Amino acid sequence: MKKILSVLLTAILVFSLAACGSSSENEETSSEAETSAETVSESEAETPSAKYLIGICQYGEHASLDNCREGFLQGLIDSGLLTEDDFEIDYQNAGFDDAVTTQIAQSFSAENVTLMCAIATPAATACYAAAEDKDIPVIFTAITDPAAAKLDSGNVTGTSDKLPVEAQLDLIRTLQPDADVIGIVYTSSEPNSVSAIAEYEAKAVDYGFTIESIGVTAQSEVTQAVDTLISKGVDCFSNLTDNNVVGVLAAMLEKTNEANIPVYGSEVEQVKLGCVAAAGIDYYQLGIQTGIMAAKVLTGETTCENLPFETISEYGIYVNSAALSEMNITVPEEIMQKAVEASEA
Amino acid sequence: MGNFLELLTSTLTQGFLYALLAYGIYITYKILDFPDLTVDGSFPLGAAVTAVLLTHGANPYLTLLAAVAVGALAGLATGLIHVCLKVRDLLAGIITTTALFSLNLQIAGSNLTVERAVETIFTAPPTMALFGGMTLLYRKLIVSFLLVLLLKLLLDLYFKTKNGLLLRAVGDNETLVTTLAKNKGTVKILGLVIANALVALSGCVVCQEQRSFSATMGTGQMVFGLAAVIIGTTVFRKLSFVKGTTAVVAGSVLYKGCIQLAILAGLPANLLKLITAVLFLVILILGNLQKSGVKQHA
Repeated sequence: MKKILSVLLTAILVFSLAACGSSSENEETSSEAETSAETVSESEAETPSAKYLIGICQYGEHASLDNCREGFLQGLIDSGLLTEDDFEIDYQNAGFDDAVTTQIAQSFSAENVTLMCAIATPAATACYAAAEDKDIPVIFTAITDPAAAKLDSGNVTGTSDKLPVEAQLDLIRTLQPDADVIGIVYTSSEPNSVSAIAEYEAKAVDYGFTIESIGVTAQSEVTQAVDTLISKGVDCFSNLTDNNVVGVLAAMLEKTNEANIPVYGSEVEQVKLGCVAAAGIDYYQLGIQTGIMAAKVLTGETTCENLPFETISEYGIYVNSAALSEMNITVPEEIMQKAVEASEA
Repeated sequence: MGNFLELLTSTLTQGFLYALLAYGIYITYKILDFPDLTVDGSFPLGAAVTAVLLTHGANPYLTLLAAVAVGALAGLATGLIHVCLKVRDLLAGIITTTALFSLNLQIAGSNLTVERAVETIFTAPPTMALFGGMTLLYRKLIVSFLLVLLLKLLLDLYFKTKNGLLLRAVGDNETLVTTLAKNKGTVKILGLVIANALVALSGCVVCQEQRSFSATMGTGQMVFGLAAVIIGTTVFRKLSFVKGTTAVVAGSVLYKGCIQLAILAGLPANLLKLITAVLFLVILILGNLQKSGVKQHA
């Protein structure tokens, strides 16, 4: 009995030894590749026959993240550096599972992708860890605070989706001149949300608001938190880009509509779903910006190290006329002129 | 072929890293017959402590011990709540896990990333001295394999001791333990301590491999562990010479292999979980069909 077990174990050992043997070969080839990397990237740019393989790792299924991905693909073309025949895409979605995210990132590394595109923070940390071995460039998007996630140096760069908090507060003040208390529900384990709450609390005073916030730990607690805030008499709700909260936005809106309390979104998709208005970013635009950066890195025009992460400087104002009229909010003409109608007719 | 070998390597590595967690569930679920939900909290606990220690410049090998210690404490908490406060087994685990969610965030501050410059057990000098000739990918495989092998041997030895036999007796027949004039509560607590120490150790090595801690990384780990234990023990059910611990490692590797296959299948990304589920079902059915002695290797 024991013998067979030991045979099994030796088999595994032999396998791992074999793996080591081949690894040294790999290392040789990779070091060769490194030494000739600079010349290769130049010659590759001249001969477009070699297709770039781009691995896209999206953390989960989510309208904003989908927009990022579509924008990214558009941005690759918009850069003017690539055509559709120049690259191949391997798109994977991890379904909000951290362990699956790791495996996706590692399969990209095994596939020898030229570049990894990571959408949302967990995807970016997983891709960056998996890219360590071969030093594959990683381009991220939809990360609020790349510096806090330690993704601001090394062979990694991308775009941040930091919220324009002051613009949002200004918008709420304009639309609801009498409002005092803004209710915010956020997930306490999402660093993006925690830092946004801190910014809201610091800046609310300047606009004459107080913030009443409730941190939840799971999606199932969001509607309870909304009920609590409604009973505390908040004048309106403002959303962050919090995955848990946005995921049950429809249920939240059902409750707030009944209580006749307007909800402000943080980006266009939330306004489409029924939030009254938002000063926020357009994830599609963010994706395009990311795609252009990726194209520059791919074609060797620059490297991640020389390309600091970017934020969107221009935010859009989105309104949902139907939701606004339901809440009896009239929008001043000067806002209406620059606002984009985002209701889904 | 190089790609295939690399994929196989990274899948095996994942299987080994998470096999430590599966060992823990093997002890609670299979041996003690105790549905221990502490796992979803003690796994990220190990990772949180590791991430904090690593970013503060601690020796990566010491974090292994630190994770084992905090995991043992988490198991102790569940055990005491269950045995001393007479809270039902499932609820005792739920209470500890719920508390750990906040505790983990307190420990780590928020989600943490460990920079590339920071050394892990896969890149620190002693590891490099032994396996420095390999690429990181294969170094991860060999280090995780050695860890799993070491703990397997330790566990197998432990199960043969008097204490280990008592542990098995509590799961099989509690009354017997009482007639032996032993306190079954103490034995249960001991089992939970060992199990959660292993789970936190798994969290520790996963954190070092992934270079990050996230508060939600524990979600679903209990389900993964159960699946790994059941898949492993089902596949090797008829092969009596395969020890439970070996079967569990195989189960963990098979689980991660299924996910890898699903990723490779190239079907729409949203179907990933469905394909994984189908693969599990196929493995379990094959395991049930298997006649004894037909398969020598799996």
